Order: sequence, then C-alpha cells, then structure tokens
Amino acid sequence: MLSETTTHNELGRDVSGRNESGRDEPGRQDPAGGPNRAPVPVKIVVAGGFGVGKTTFVGAISDIAPLTTEAAMTTASEGIDDRGYVSTKTTTTVAMDFGRVAVDSSIVLYIFGTPGQDRFGFMWNDLVKGALGAVVLVDSRRIEDSFPALDYFEHRNLPFVVAVNSFDGHVFHTADDVREALSIAPHVPVVVTDARRREAVKETLLSLLQVSLEQAKARARKG
Amino acid sequence: MSDVSVSGYDADPGGGQLSADQPQEAALVRPFLSRMLSMPTARMDDAPVADDVTEAAGVRSYAMTSGRAQGSVPLEIESMLQLTAEGAMVLERLQFERGRVATLCQAEILSVAELSARLHLPIGVIRVVASDLIVDGLLQAHVPSFGVADDVDLISRLIEGVRAL
Repeated sequence: MLSETTTHNELGRDVSGRNESGRDEPGRQDPAGGPNRAPVPVKIVVAGGFGVGKTTFVGAISDIAPLTTEAAMTTASEGIDDRGYVSTKTTTTVAMDFGRVAVDSSIVLYIFGTPGQDRFGFMWNDLVKGALGAVVLVDSRRIEDSFPALDYFEHRNLPFVVAVNSFDGHVFHTADDVREALSIAPHVPVVVTDARRREAVKETLLSLLQVSLEQAKARARKG
Repeated sequence: MSDVSVSGYDADPGGGQLSADQPQEAALVRPFLSRMLSMPTARMDDAPVADDVTEAAGVRSYAMTSGRAQGSVPLEIESMLQLTAEGAMVLERLQFERGRVATLCQAEILSVAELSARLHLPIGVIRVVASDLIVDGLLQAHVPSFGVADDVDLISRLIEGVRAL
C-alpha cells in the first residue's frame, strides 16, 4: 500500500493550508491539473485461462500488491455452484485480481485480470466498457483456453494483443506458431512475454497501447 | 424455505425499480436474499418488515442496498471517489457501509474496485452505496473521461508514462 500512502501524503500536503477536513474539490481551483486534481483513471484488461499467469502479470507492474475484488454473478448459473436448497437462481461470486499504476500525476492505470472462461463472459461487458484494450495471455500448451477471450475481443472491436507467456524462461512455441494456431489477424500483435518480469510486462503493455493509439487516430481521421 | 421467498423473486429480479419510499416492499423482494433467508444467520423476523432498510447493513451485503443491484449514478469499476466537504462534516454520523466507504474516501481518492477489495464487498454493493452517497452530496465521483479510448492525447501521454516506468 506504499503508493496509496504516498498519494495521501501528496494530497495532505497540498491541502494543508486549507480546511483540514473539508478538502476542496479537485480541479476547481486548479483546472490545469495540479497535484490536487484527481487523476484520470484508465483501465486495461488481462484475460486468459486459469493458471496462465494473469495475477503475476498484474503484480509485475502494479504499484501495489494485486488486490482481489468480487463481482456477484446474478444471472442464471446452470450447473455451477449449485447450493441445492434454492430452486432457481444462484448467486456466485467471481474473484478478480487487479493492480494500480500511477503512470504520472494525472493518469492512474488499473489493470484487471479476469478469468477467461466462457461462463465469466457476463463480467467482461462491465470490465471492457471504457477499457483501452486487452492483453490475452496465452499458455501455448493450452491455447484453447484463450479462445473465448479472443472471440470476445474480436467481436467487440477492442484493441488487443496476444501475449505468449514463457514459463521459467521457456517458450514452448514461437509467436508465429501461436499466431497460426489461433488464426490471429495480421494487424493484431503476437508477442512473447514473461509475466514475472516488469520490463517484459511493460513492453507488452506498450505494444497494446500502440494498437490503441493507432485505432484512436484512425477513428479521429474518420471524424 | 420460508414463505417470503415463495413469490416475487423471479418475476422481477431487478429490484432497483422499486420506489425509494417503499422500504418494506423492497425488503420483500431483495433478489439476492432468497437463499440467505433460509440460512440460520438470517434474521427471519426482521427482514420482511424492516422499517429502516439501512439498519440491515451490518447483516449482509445486499440488505444494505435494499436488494438493488444498481445505483442511480452510473459508476465504472475504475471510477474514483472522494469525500466532499459536506461528507466530511457528517462523516461521524454515517453508519455501516456508508460510513466505511466514506471514511476510506476521505483518506485518499479510491476507485470502486479498490473500495470493493478493501471492504471485502462485491463491486455491485459498492456501486449502490457510493451512488447513494453521491446523490446525497457526500461523495464526489471522478468518472473516466468520456471516450478514453478515443483520446489520442491521453493515450500518447500514457505511452510516454509507461515507457518511463
């Protein structure tokens, strides 16, 4: 929680000359974006099957140890988590890990790791709304785990990259092999990453953000 | 299974449409409580007739929200929340989840997702509680700028920033 303490201290210093309890509304005094202005939150989604390294990936870049949150699944969940004593609907909660990166004083990046299975699709609409893009993390020995996520992001026209995670520094298939096996469109980057290494995770995010930037520029040109 | 769960649950799972001046009605159709009501910890006598739904906050998540799954203010999971000056003035009087959310948002600006993680409450509950606080003027939300994905300047700054990490 180091970074959060830092944020607090920065804010505390900034408002120290003012009413202590009633912090001024950010942006009002300083519309240009001083330190008292709330940062713009942006988010990136990391999808992939269980055990592919999503939480590791998030943790490698996050300022804070990845946090876990729960989303309640309120739709019918046939055959899943049947509690036995309710005739119709069940409420299932799905855990989701996420991290936070203070990119600069005005932008905070949230990275959400989300389970990649079909039955969690209900969560994705919520997650993907307003997201800059997605990283589909792939274990090349179990590429079928990434099918639902790929289908979903392709249909939603969300910028995404395919990142083949290496395990213990070992990549079992090349990026080209994975691209072919998954029928990835030529404009979608396929990169090899190492979820444990901060630099590799950074590069993966940058390759995604380039795609996001290109798409934003293309839309702006269309006007 | 108690009689309160027999009817009403499946017909309208979206309890959010209930008007705010009918808390008793809301208590009867809390969509998330159908199974919980049969649990030993449920207060069978109180739940259907609770005259102050906020009292249920200490009992279970969705009792706090009167069974609503959505608040009136649209909040994304990354929306950032901050206590207002007005909120700070009444902070000590806020109870249960309202108080816990408000207290955390006084110390720092936190996202819906972080509040959910730190209070061990589902995102949906935080959304409703925070939405109520915003309507009451006690919290201020910083929602992502509209169309972040179209903001060429923002994405360019983000790339610069990530590169410099």
